[in-house]
Amino acid sequence: MPTMNGDAVRLLLEQVAIDVESNKDYLCDLDGEVGDGDHGVSMTIGMRAVRRAMDDLPADPSVAEAFQAASDAYAIEVGATIGPLYEVAFESAASATAGKAEVSTVTDWVEIYRAMFDAVQRLGGAELGDKTMLDSFHPAIEKLASLEGQELVPSLQQAANTARAAAEATKDLKPMKGRASRLADRAVGHQDAGATSLAIILESVAAFAANLRD
Amino acid sequence: MKKLINDPFDMVEEMVDGFLSANDDIVKQVGRRSIARVRSPIPGKVGIVVGGGSGHLPAFAGYVGEGMADAAAFGNVFASPPARPVVEATQACDSGAGVLYLYGNYAGDCLNFDKAQDQCREMGMDVRTVVLNDDVASAPKDQADRRRGIGGLFWVFRIAGAKAERMAPLDEVFEIATRANANTRTIGVGLTSCTVPANGRPTFHLEEDEMELGLGIHGEPGIKRQKVAPVDDIVEDMMEMILGDLDYSGRDVALSVNGLGGTPAEELYVVYRKAKEICDANGLRIKHKNVGEMVTALEMAGASISLVRLDDEMDELLTTTVNTCMYKKP
Repeated sequence: MPTMNGDAVRLLLEQVAIDVESNKDYLCDLDGEVGDGDHGVSMTIGMRAVRRAMDDLPADPSVAEAFQAASDAYAIEVGATIGPLYEVAFESAASATAGKAEVSTVTDWVEIYRAMFDAVQRLGGAELGDKTMLDSFHPAIEKLASLEGQELVPSLQQAANTARAAAEATKDLKPMKGRASRLADRAVGHQDAGATSLAIILESVAAFAANLRD
Repeated sequence: MKKLINDPFDMVEEMVDGFLSANDDIVKQVGRRSIARVRSPIPGKVGIVVGGGSGHLPAFAGYVGEGMADAAAFGNVFASPPARPVVEATQACDSGAGVLYLYGNYAGDCLNFDKAQDQCREMGMDVRTVVLNDDVASAPKDQADRRRGIGGLFWVFRIAGAKAERMAPLDEVFEIATRANANTRTIGVGLTSCTVPANGRPTFHLEEDEMELGLGIHGEPGIKRQKVAPVDDIVEDMMEMILGDLDYSGRDVALSVNGLGGTPAEELYVVYRKAKEICDANGLRIKHKNVGEMVTALEMAGASISLVRLDDEMDELLTTTVNTCMYKKP
C-alpha cells in the first residue's frame, strides 16, 4: 500500500498538471464544439501555475499545504469559470485533509473528492445532469465510496474508469450552465469538456498512486 | 496559426505592457493585470470598473479614460480575470464615493466580479454591479438574464461614464447604467472563426460561403447558420430581430456598427448605410452613432449592430467629451 504523504501529494499535483496539459488540444476541441474553445487553455494556465506553486512549496509540505497552494495558483492565475471552481475545489481538499500526515486510504480519498465536489456544486450552482464536471465526478465518488476498506490503487482506478465513462455519457445531456447552455439543443451529442478534464485528473491520480507503489 | 506573437502564453502580459506604454498619458498600471486612469482616484467621483477576457479590444481597457471607465482588469484571452485584478482596479479608483462594476453577462465574469465585489465590500468599499446583456440572439426575451453582453457595452460604458464624470452619486450612476442596459439591443453576424493564441487552432469552422447570425464574441455558436447573402438582406434580418425585441417606435436612438476584428471599416459603413435606412423607414431619429471596432473577437470577421432607445438624459450625456485610450470625441 503506497504512503501518500504531503510530499507525495505535491508530486501527485505536479503529475496531474502535466497530464492535463498534455490533453490541452483535446479539451479545446471538445469545448470548441459548443463553448468557446478555451477549456484546455484555461486548465493549462491553471496547471502551469500549480506546477510553479509546487516548486515553491517548502520541503516536506503537509498534505493540506500542497492542496492549498494549488488552490492559490488557480485563484491568482486563471479567472474564467474554471478558476474559481478549481480554487474552491482544492481549498476544500486542503480543509478536508487538515492535520492529516497522509491520505493513503480509500476513505481519505472519498473525503477529499466529496469535499471538492460539494465546494464546486455550492459555488457553481449546477445540478447533476446539467452537463458539467459534476456529472463525471459524482458517479466516480459513488464508485469509490462503494470500495471503502479495499486497496487504494485499484479503487482509485475504478473510480477513474467510472469518471471517464460518465464523461463520455455527457454526450446525451443538455447543458444548463456556462456558455454552452445558450444552445442547449445543439450541444446534445457533444461531450462536456469540464467533465472530461475532471476524468483526466482522476485518471492521473490513480496512475500516480499505482506508480508510487513500485 | 499566423499571429504577431511570441510565446502564446505570454501574449496577454506582453500586450498589457505595450498597452500601458502606448497610453501612459491616460492610464497607469495598478496591478499585474489591472490599470486605472492616471489621476485616479478622482476625489468625490464614483469609480467605474470594467473588464473581461482579453481579445476584445477596445473593450475593455481601451475605454478607460475621461467620460467612460476609471479602471479595468484584464483576463486571459476570452477568459474572465480572476478576482484579484478586479479588486486592484476597484481600490485604485475608489475615492470613497463608491464603485460601479460594468461587464458582460458570462458565467466566469459573474463569478469573479462577484467575488471581487464581496472582498471590496468587506474592506468597506461601496461597490455595485450592473451586468450587461444586450445580445438578443443569445436567449429568448423572457430569459433576458441569460443573454450575453456584446457590442452594446460601448453605449452603457459611455452613458454611465458620462454620468459619473459629472460627480453624480453611486445610486444615480447605477440607475442610469441599468436604464441604458435595459434600452440597448445588439445582434451580431460572424463570417469566420478566430484562433485563441494559446489554443493555436480555430475555435470552430465556417465554410467559405457560410455565415452565422447571432454568433458570440468568443465564437459561441449563434442561432442560424446560412449561406452568405448580400449585406442589405443580412442587415434587414438583424434589424428585424432588434426592432422586434424592444419597442423603438418614434424614439430617438443611438446606432452603432461594431467590427468583430477581421472586417474592414468599408464593410462596416455599408452595414451602417442599410441600418440607417431601416431606422429612417421606421421613424427613428438617430441622435448618436459610432462605426468601428468596439467589442471585437480577435480576428473574427463579422459585425454587430447595436441600437439604444434614448431618453432625454441619455441623449444629453452622449454629447459630452470622451478621451479614453481607444475612443476619443471632443
